[in-house]
Amino acid sequence: MKLLAWLNERTGLDQVWRVLFARQIPNLKSPVAWFYTLGSAGLFVFVLQVLTGVLLAANYVPSPDHAYDSVKFINEQVWFGGLIRGLHHWGASAMVVLVVLHMLRVYFMGAYKCPRELTWIMGVLLLLFVLAFGFTGYLLPWDQKAYWATAVGTNIAGQSPVVGPLLIKLLRGGQEMGAATLSRFYALHVLVLPMIVGLLLVGHLFLVVWHGISEPPKRHEVAKGAKGKGQPFFPDSVFKDVVVAFLVFCVLLFLAYRIRVPLEEVADPTDSTYNPRPEWYFLFLFQALKFFPGRLEAVAAVLLPCLAILMLLLVPFLDRKPERHPLDRPAWTALALMVISGIAWLAWVGARGPLVNPVVKQDPLVLAGQRLYRELKCAYCHRIHGQGGTVGPELDKAAGTKTERWLWDHFRDPQAVNPGSVMPKFGLLDDETRALVAYVISFAPEPFTEEAPRLFADRCAACHRIGKEGAEVGPDLSLIGRTRDKSFIKTYIENPSLTNPTSAMPSYKSQLTDTQIEDLARYLASLVRE
Amino acid sequence: MSELLSRRVFLGRCIAFLGSLIALMFSGVGAGYLLFPIFQRRKEDWVDLGPITDIWSGTPVKVEFVQRKHDAWMTTEQRSSAWVLTPDGKEFVAFDPRCTHLGCPYRWDDGRRQFLCPCHAAVFDIQGKVVMGPPPRPLDRYPCKLSEGRLLILPQPIQA
Repeated sequence: MKLLAWLNERTGLDQVWRVLFARQIPNLKSPVAWFYTLGSAGLFVFVLQVLTGVLLAANYVPSPDHAYDSVKFINEQVWFGGLIRGLHHWGASAMVVLVVLHMLRVYFMGAYKCPRELTWIMGVLLLLFVLAFGFTGYLLPWDQKAYWATAVGTNIAGQSPVVGPLLIKLLRGGQEMGAATLSRFYALHVLVLPMIVGLLLVGHLFLVVWHGISEPPKRHEVAKGAKGKGQPFFPDSVFKDVVVAFLVFCVLLFLAYRIRVPLEEVADPTDSTYNPRPEWYFLFLFQALKFFPGRLEAVAAVLLPCLAILMLLLVPFLDRKPERHPLDRPAWTALALMVISGIAWLAWVGARGPLVNPVVKQDPLVLAGQRLYRELKCAYCHRIHGQGGTVGPELDKAAGTKTERWLWDHFRDPQAVNPGSVMPKFGLLDDETRALVAYVISFAPEPFTEEAPRLFADRCAACHRIGKEGAEVGPDLSLIGRTRDKSFIKTYIENPSLTNPTSAMPSYKSQLTDTQIEDLARYLASLVRE
Repeated sequence: MSELLSRRVFLGRCIAFLGSLIALMFSGVGAGYLLFPIFQRRKEDWVDLGPITDIWSGTPVKVEFVQRKHDAWMTTEQRSSAWVLTPDGKEFVAFDPRCTHLGCPYRWDDGRRQFLCPCHAAVFDIQGKVVMGPPPRPLDRYPCKLSEGRLLILPQPIQA
């Protein structure tokens, strides 16, 4: 106690307590009182984002050659790494949810009215910066999802009239996405945005304390700007704030634990089979773009969002009547409800929109082998599907002639199993060798019976073509083995809509036996040459 | 009034409890995340040093090798070396090339048939034992094994 008195004398802590915690707020009754916790819950999640963000930064590299691997490292090697990343990921969504709900509470209660216009404006800016956090953070893992969402997102900015082409270069640090894009998104995400949001938060909170909390509105009552008084902030309100923060934390922990944040394959700018999708809170914008064809696109991409933001900022100056109850200002209430349902509908339709490209599931080990194959520049000497050098054997053709054991020994020490080989010894690690073996083996065709081509002619050729035989209702399958492996084809034959919801092809699971489907899939997977 | 006071105290304690619970749960997870390198044991792969015919009986040879290794999220190629010797062509010893005092690179002196460290004048004999100078222990060794006429070492020094 003596220490407390000593500290108090030197810092004026009791004054801080008086201003922040003993301040008078309106008498809030449940359940309305719980709506007043949304802002503090948002603040709590922001603090959580800062803390998890610092932890993630300790193991992250903002460079295209290491970003993906460092996130993979966090996910798979670091203790609680997946959990921390999950908290940060779900925290971002929670942030958007809480800030928007808080804003709706303020809107419907008319709490933005005089003298709280600036509190509202800062709040709107905070929402925009939260979205900017989401957008910049999305790129950092540098996986397919990240890369393509950002490619589309920056292209949207590029739609702006006049400044578009400049804006896109500014955002990307050049015409194309690459190393400069990643560094600048990282700098924005971890340095610039936290600073701005921190300052805005201080201002926002200062005004909250300065003006006090507005009374919940009553019908036909005109209470202008008065500070609601009735009870101190501590303990009742603080208690509710902490309970809600705790619940939010538990929900985030649960989500982070149960739903692993996916890390897709490493970003591949040449991939043309990927379905780019934005994070859910940008889905409405994504969907809106589909309704504005051609040159009108800038209307949906730039003009409408800008107008919406301007409108939000100006709300306190347009709605200046003293009535605050939502039913006392029916036009404003109706407008908000319309906008909310519009956004929700767009997001819903966007989320359910069919994927144009089928979703390909590939063996991660094979993909790791493919990356290593590129990294070690194997294609200088070897060819796969006709691409690469001619010094060594063509791997897709040779794959079927060797056993896994032979390949393993060969990668470890080429001369040991193949004396006179000019292939250098790479000193590969166990996991690298495993990945390379899996990659090469994936080219080995599995034997199919003579029945398979006949089955194709019988059941499939009415729609599909191989070489010169068959029709062209469905895709030409002459070289399908180059892009699809057996298990993909098998799943597709069994249930086409699983990988391609818009496919007109019927399911063959009940029409063919499992052996027939396997046989057919093996046959199709073997089609790699003209 | 006393009832009011007790409600205030009760809620205050609830706030402190829930607040601490959040802090405790988060710091537990955060501590694990930050402290895991302390408990991490490095796993090395065996490195092939080549055919044993290149190693002369009786005289230590410095064998350089390139080792691919995982370095957190990266895979790097690191150049390292080992002093290898064999008394009879059957038993092999590989010494870590860093002096056990402060890690200076020592060398073999053929005339004196001793390892000499340039930093603090330490001297080791051919078995790696300290002859003079400040090193606290004999030279560290790498585990060795033979496979089809080739010498493999595990570049994880073992302290004698």
